[in-house]
Amino acid sequence: MPPEQTELLQGTLDMLILKALALGEMHGLGIARRVEQLTRGTFQVKPGSLFPSLHRMEEQGWLSAFWGESENNRRAKYYRLTRAGERRLENESERWRRISGAITHALQTS
Amino acid sequence: MKHLRSFFRNLLRLRQADADLDQEVRAYVDLLAEEKSQAGVSPEQAQRAARMELGGIEHVKEEVRDVRSGAWLASLLQDLRYAARMLRNSPTFALVAVLTLAIGIGVNTAVFGVAEFLLRPLPVPHPEQLVVLATGQNGQAATGRFSYPEYLDLKRQATAFSDLTGYQVDFEGLSTGHDAVQFFMSWVTGNYFTMLGVKPYLGRLFLPSEGQAPGADPYMVLGYLFWQKEFHGDANIIGRKVVVAGHPVTIIGVTPPEFHGTFYAFDTQGYLLFSTEAADSQAAAFWSKREAREMTLMGRLRPRVSLPQAQASLDVIAARFARQYPESSKTLVVHAYPEKEARPQPDPTDQTVLIAAIFVGLAGLVTLLACLNVANVVLVRSTVRQREIAVRAALGAGRGRLVRQLLTESMLLAVLGGAAGMVLGVLGARLMGAIPARITQLPFQTEFPMNWRLFCYGLGIVVLGGIVVGVIPARRGASVDLNSVLHESGRSVIGGRHRLRDLLVVGQVAGSLVLLIIAGLFMRSLENVVHGKLGFDPDHVATLTVDPHEMGYTQEQGRNFFRELLQRARALPGVESAALAYSVPFGYYNSSAVLSEIDSYTRPAGQQLPQLGYNMAGTQYFSTMRIPVLRGRAFTDSDNQQSQRVAMVNQAMAQRFWPNQDPIGKRFKTKISDQPEQWFQVVGVLANSKYTSVTDENVPYFYVSLAQNYSAIQALEVRSALPPHVVLSELREQVRDLAPDLPIFYAKSMSEGLEDFNGFFLYRLGAELAAALGLLGLILAIIGVYGVVSYAASQRTHEIGVRMALGAARSDILLAVLRNGLWLVAAGIGLGLVLVLAATRVVADFLVGVSTTDPVTFAVVTVLLALVSLAACYIPARRAMKLDPMVALRYE
Repeated sequence: MPPEQTELLQGTLDMLILKALALGEMHGLGIARRVEQLTRGTFQVKPGSLFPSLHRMEEQGWLSAFWGESENNRRAKYYRLTRAGERRLENESERWRRISGAITHALQTS
Repeated sequence: MKHLRSFFRNLLRLRQADADLDQEVRAYVDLLAEEKSQAGVSPEQAQRAARMELGGIEHVKEEVRDVRSGAWLASLLQDLRYAARMLRNSPTFALVAVLTLAIGIGVNTAVFGVAEFLLRPLPVPHPEQLVVLATGQNGQAATGRFSYPEYLDLKRQATAFSDLTGYQVDFEGLSTGHDAVQFFMSWVTGNYFTMLGVKPYLGRLFLPSEGQAPGADPYMVLGYLFWQKEFHGDANIIGRKVVVAGHPVTIIGVTPPEFHGTFYAFDTQGYLLFSTEAADSQAAAFWSKREAREMTLMGRLRPRVSLPQAQASLDVIAARFARQYPESSKTLVVHAYPEKEARPQPDPTDQTVLIAAIFVGLAGLVTLLACLNVANVVLVRSTVRQREIAVRAALGAGRGRLVRQLLTESMLLAVLGGAAGMVLGVLGARLMGAIPARITQLPFQTEFPMNWRLFCYGLGIVVLGGIVVGVIPARRGASVDLNSVLHESGRSVIGGRHRLRDLLVVGQVAGSLVLLIIAGLFMRSLENVVHGKLGFDPDHVATLTVDPHEMGYTQEQGRNFFRELLQRARALPGVESAALAYSVPFGYYNSSAVLSEIDSYTRPAGQQLPQLGYNMAGTQYFSTMRIPVLRGRAFTDSDNQQSQRVAMVNQAMAQRFWPNQDPIGKRFKTKISDQPEQWFQVVGVLANSKYTSVTDENVPYFYVSLAQNYSAIQALEVRSALPPHVVLSELREQVRDLAPDLPIFYAKSMSEGLEDFNGFFLYRLGAELAAALGLLGLILAIIGVYGVVSYAASQRTHEIGVRMALGAARSDILLAVLRNGLWLVAAGIGLGLVLVLAATRVVADFLVGVSTTDPVTFAVVTVLLALVSLAACYIPARRAMKLDPMVALRYE
């Protein structure tokens, strides 16, 4: 396990999940692992927050879900991005860049 | 749209969605286990580790359910089902709780229903714009009426009002040709209905252009109820000719059922134009004299004009009147009252709102006590249910969810109790509304439909009650320490005492003490009122009032009629004495007059002219009423139209104007009804008595001779050894014989009359209502104390068994349990005494002859409450004492 883990900021998890799914459809565990990988182990996604987030975004229409087979022929629920989800990701990424840029700038100014 | 769809899908296909979710989470665990076993862990260990990492499948599912749309509704439904099951499983608890709440809420709704009725807006468009005007003179309170010329001037000049109408209530006789009835009616100006915005139910109503000249437009409009009662709702009534007060008129319409006129709470049975009453030459004064003040005015404020603005403009007009017409209006003021504060007539001392507020407050206290009681029981249950709650928490129910569940149960109780309470409340309000009809002959209209104000109020009480009942126990119940509860090896940890529950009991005892003391003070007032010295003897006196003017009798005809009636009454067998007077003590009407000059009396500078109540009395009046003549003489037959005007004064009046002097022979100048001012010479002094109100105490008052001052309406008082109702039926017979068409205005024994509106009625009603509320409070407090003490005792069963096994005497056990309860009662009484000192200040104005800290009431109530509570503690304590130690030890 990574030595240092950080609490996810509110709303950040959604964005990371969208980002993970932008690379292709995936099941729950795959998404969790992909997010860990994308953040180089800084964020670990617990099922207790992963599933509520997935279901919420499905209801919002950003994700669609279907049952499929895993690599090892196990039944699993897969998620993929919808059009609305893609737009959402773009907006969120843009917003994040703006905010993080601003905060970084603020912290660098002395 | 999508959101909405999933909302419904979730709601409709909850089960399927749940199964889906279950599979999804399980698949996740499997995948996780597979991942771990690939890393070289054994399959069993991998599965176990995966589960550990997940942190509970149910918990994860619960979190997902919470984010679903419609989750709240789904969980609400689930909670409701669960709550209903819980209540079904403990029917006794459910019944007691629902009944207690039903009574608590029912009482409150009933009292509020009556208050709502008293202050209900008139059923016309924009009732909030309606304003009642009254005149005041000589610095007296503004309760007076207006003359027609003043009305016309105000209508023209008072621009704050979009319209102004005049009316005056009266009793008149209605003759349809074969028989005559007395009815309660209103003389109105032509624009009465258009100003109010009332539409006809049948036919048409008056037009603003009507009724502007003597005798013009002899029409009549019927009230709905009267039309139903007297004409059986006959739709062909329009165009029918009838005779009212001797005037032939044509019926033109019927008012709608919800409209009862503007003399609130009374049902106006018919409407005629002033022009019909003031039709002949004798009525010229009505049209032209500024001091012939006969009408009450009601105006409609223009939109965006406030009452103070209207008042300011009225002040300017009144000042102009005073300048232009000094002889009639020198000190005139015109005061505007919101319509609701002028019911039925403008009166600045009217305290309807305060009285209503007091009783709503008392009823609120009862409701609070009921809710506390139920809260207590729920609290006890929630402690018993700790184990169940702990198990549910362990299975993954969040704390918020548990609180919600417990709250749902309480709310369900409150709603059930509230629904039953509302029904009780409406019935109770109707019961109270029916009381006036039993004691008075005035047509009182009481309607208690379930309206939205009552409903909202009831709903508010239910929600508040549910919160009181639920929140306290729920907060406690849900904050369970899982480990400690689940690890207890079967023994309940609950025993001992709970500060919160004790507090509830203290509050209940305090609340019921407040209720009981206020009830006690009202009862003592009633006692004082009923047994107070009246100053006259009402026993064995029959009174009968008639108004031959209702038949259109002239003064001459009236005098002849009353002379004949009196003679016949005196000749009846068994009659001791009989006399005529203008008004009856505590009757429906009375008069007062301003004394402009008084012999040997100089008014202190800056003081207003004295205004005193008076009556007109015939010969033998004082002996019939048994009012002692202290000095001088009573009226005799030699006091007549030709002789010097004479008066009799009471002691209080003699004391006020002629202290230490002989009042006999002194004169004062005043104006009696519509006659010009005259000098009256005092010929006798009477003992003080009560006149218009049961609270009268040393009120200056005088009598003038009925022979020298005519009144169309007169009351016959007959003292007889026979029961009054026998005498009354004889008298009715005589009236029918003398004037077949004359309706009887009022016929009662004087003792019965004392129970009427202006007599003991309000005191009795208030005392009985307060007593009923106090009794309910007492019962609730007993249940509360008993419940808590016996519960505490049952929780200590084990401890008691140990103590007895160790040799404690039974009396020690009794004392231990008793002490527990008595502390609470003592604390409650102490708190109650502090609260009641504040509360009684509000009711001080309504107490008669008893102080707000009346030691008798305080002592009796405190001792009563203490004794009753002692009994409520003693029963469970005795039970505890009689426990068999072996049984107690094996308990649980």
